[in-house]
Amino acid sequence: MTMKLAEALKVIQSALPDAPRLEVALLCGFTPLHLETFLGAHLCKSFPGRSPNVQTGLYGDLIGNLQRLAGVSAAIVVIEWPDLDPRLGLRRLGGWEPSQLQDILGEVNRSCDLLQSNVAAAAQNIPLVLCFPTLPLVPVSFTALSRASEFTLELRSRVASLSAALSHLPGVRIVDPQRLDALSSSRRLDINSDLSAGFPYTLSHASALAEVVVRLVLNPQPKKGLITDLDDTLWRGILGEVGVQGISWDLDNHSQIHALYQQLLHSLAASGTMIAVASKNDRSLVEEAFAARDPILREADVFPFEVHWGAKSESVARILGAWNISADDVVCVDDSPMDLAEIKAAHPGAECVLFPSENPQAAYELLERLRDCFGKDKISQEDGLRAASVRANAELQHDIKQESPGASSDFVRQIDGKLTLSSQKQPLDSRSLELVNKTNQFNLNGRRFQEAEWQNWLNAPDAVFLAVSYRDKYGPLGKIAVIAGDLLNVNVNGLNSDSSGKRRLRIRTWVMSCRAFSRLIEYECIRWLFDKLDVEELEFDFLPTPRNTPMQNFLRQVRNAPAEPHCRLSRAQFLQSCPTSSHVVEESPNG
Amino acid sequence: MAEIESRLANCFATAFPELEPAEIPAVSMGSLASWDSLAGITLLSLIEEEFGIGISPDDAAGLVSYQLILDYLRTLSSEDAK
Repeated sequence: MTMKLAEALKVIQSALPDAPRLEVALLCGFTPLHLETFLGAHLCKSFPGRSPNVQTGLYGDLIGNLQRLAGVSAAIVVIEWPDLDPRLGLRRLGGWEPSQLQDILGEVNRSCDLLQSNVAAAAQNIPLVLCFPTLPLVPVSFTALSRASEFTLELRSRVASLSAALSHLPGVRIVDPQRLDALSSSRRLDINSDLSAGFPYTLSHASALAEVVVRLVLNPQPKKGLITDLDDTLWRGILGEVGVQGISWDLDNHSQIHALYQQLLHSLAASGTMIAVASKNDRSLVEEAFAARDPILREADVFPFEVHWGAKSESVARILGAWNISADDVVCVDDSPMDLAEIKAAHPGAECVLFPSENPQAAYELLERLRDCFGKDKISQEDGLRAASVRANAELQHDIKQESPGASSDFVRQIDGKLTLSSQKQPLDSRSLELVNKTNQFNLNGRRFQEAEWQNWLNAPDAVFLAVSYRDKYGPLGKIAVIAGDLLNVNVNGLNSDSSGKRRLRIRTWVMSCRAFSRLIEYECIRWLFDKLDVEELEFDFLPTPRNTPMQNFLRQVRNAPAEPHCRLSRAQFLQSCPTSSHVVEESPNG
Repeated sequence: MAEIESRLANCFATAFPELEPAEIPAVSMGSLASWDSLAGITLLSLIEEEFGIGISPDDAAGLVSYQLILDYLRTLSSEDAK
C-alpha cells in the first residue's frame, strides 16, 4: 500500500524544523511537484532524527542539473524518455514520422553518452540514486502496440546498456525496475497532469517511486545472521517421525520450496551472512541427515548447531553469544508460531518470521523478503572470511577459557597475530564505511555517516584515518577496525594553537568488529597512534549508547577512570596500563 | 452533503495548514497568498485522491475558492446519484 498525498503532506508538516538538515537533490527534467512531496515524506520517515530538504533543479535541463549538483548528502536522478529525446514526450511536437525514427535513436545515443559522463563526474563526490524511464513509450513507432518494433527494442537496449555501465560506478545505485513494478502496478502516466503541469506521474506511481528511491538513499545495513529451524522449514517432514529418508526437498515430494529455501541460505552463507540452526530435535539424527542426505545448505555453512529439546530462546541466546552480535541483527525463521513467540519474548529485537510450509506462494515471498533483509551493495573479501572467522573465534574463546584466569594476554602472544594498518584515505573504502555504520559494541559513539559526509570529512587536511586488518593462526579476519579523527595542535591551556604546543588527536570515530575481540588489538591501535602520529594525548568523542559497553569497559580500563564525553588519554597513562605488545604490526604498502 | 464539506475542509487543511478551520469556508485564491498555481495543483490533487475523481483542466481553471469547489463536488455527487 503506497502512501497517499494527504499523508505525505502531513508527514512533512510534522517534521521537526530544528533537527539537523538532510539535503537531498531531486534531479529530473519534468516538474518535480508531487514526487518532491512524496520524497520529502519518505525521507522524513526513513531519517527520523533529521529535517530533510529536497532541492530541485531547472525544468527540462537534466544534464545542467547534474552539472550544478553540490552541497547535498545524496542525489536522486529520475530519467524519463523526453530527457533522452524531447520527441519521446507529450509536451513537444518534433514529429513521429517513420523517417525520423533513426534520428531519434541517434539523439538518444548522444543523450546516453552525455548522461554517462555527467553521472560519472557527479558520482565522484556525491552518492547518486538513478532511476531509468518508468513510463510507457509514446506511440512513436509505426507497428501495432502488441508488436515490439525494431525501434523500441533498440531504444530499450541502449538504455539498458547505459544502466549496466553506470551500475559499475562506486557511489551509484540503480532502481531495480522489477521492484518498482511490484509496488507500482497500476497506471503510471497521468496525461492531464503532464499536459497541464509538466508532471507526468499518477499519484500512486510517484508515491511508489519515491518509496523505492528513498530506500536506496537510506541503503540500510543488512542483517548479520539467520537462525533457522529444521523440520518443516529447512526440509519437509518431522525428522523424529519420518526418519532420515523420510524428509524431503524436491519436486517429486512437492517440497521444492524447501530446496529453494536451502539454496537461498547457501547463497547467503557464501555472501558472508552467518547461518545457525536452532531445532528441537535429536542431535544424532540431525547429524545423520546432513551426512546421508547431502542438503543444499551444507553443514559447513552452519555455525553453530543448537539441536536439543530445550527452549528455542536459549538456543538463540547461545547462538548470539557465539556470533557476538545482538538480537537486532538477526532473523529467526521457524514454522512454529509458538516457538517464534517464545523467541520474540526473550529477544524482542530479533526479527521472527514464520515459514509457511503449506503455502509455496507465501514461502516464495518469504525468500524475497529474506534477500531484502540481507541485501548488500557488493561482496567484500571480509564476507568470504566471516563464517570461518566466527568458527575460529569460538575456538579461540574456548582455548582462552582453558588458560588460567588472567593469563589471556600471555595466551594472545602465542597466536601469531599480525595487524596490517592502512592510513590511505582515497579512494573511498566502502568496507571501512560499512564497519563504521554497522558496528554497535566496540563503537566510540554510535555515530553513522552518509557517504558524502564521510568522504568530505576525510578529505580535510588534518583528518586522520586508520583501517586495520588482522590475521592470526586461527585464520584471517580481514578489515576489522577503523579509527578516524582530527589532529590538533594545542597550547599549554589546552586550546587549539598553531604554535609549538603539543599535538593531540581527537578521535571522532572508532569501531572494531566483534569478531576481533579478546585479542588486545585495541591496545595495538592506540600504541600505533602515539608512536606514528607523534601525539601526546588522545581525546575521545565518546558517547554512551545502549550497546557500546565493550568500548566503555576498554576506556575505563586504559584510563583507570569511567568513560565520559571528550575524555582523554595521555601517552604516560597509556604506557602504565597497556599490556606488552602482542602482535606483529605492519603498515600497508599503499599507505 | 455535510460529509462532502467535512472531507473538503480536510483537504484544505492539509494543503494550507496555516488556515484556521473557521477560515476555510470563506477562502479563495484571491484571499490567500499561499494559494499559488503549485499549491492549487496540490489542492486539486488532494481532492481527486480524497473523492476518487478526475478533474479536467477546463473544470480546474474555475475551481478557485472553497465555495466553488464545494458546489462542483455537490454537482458531481448529485449526477452520480441519478
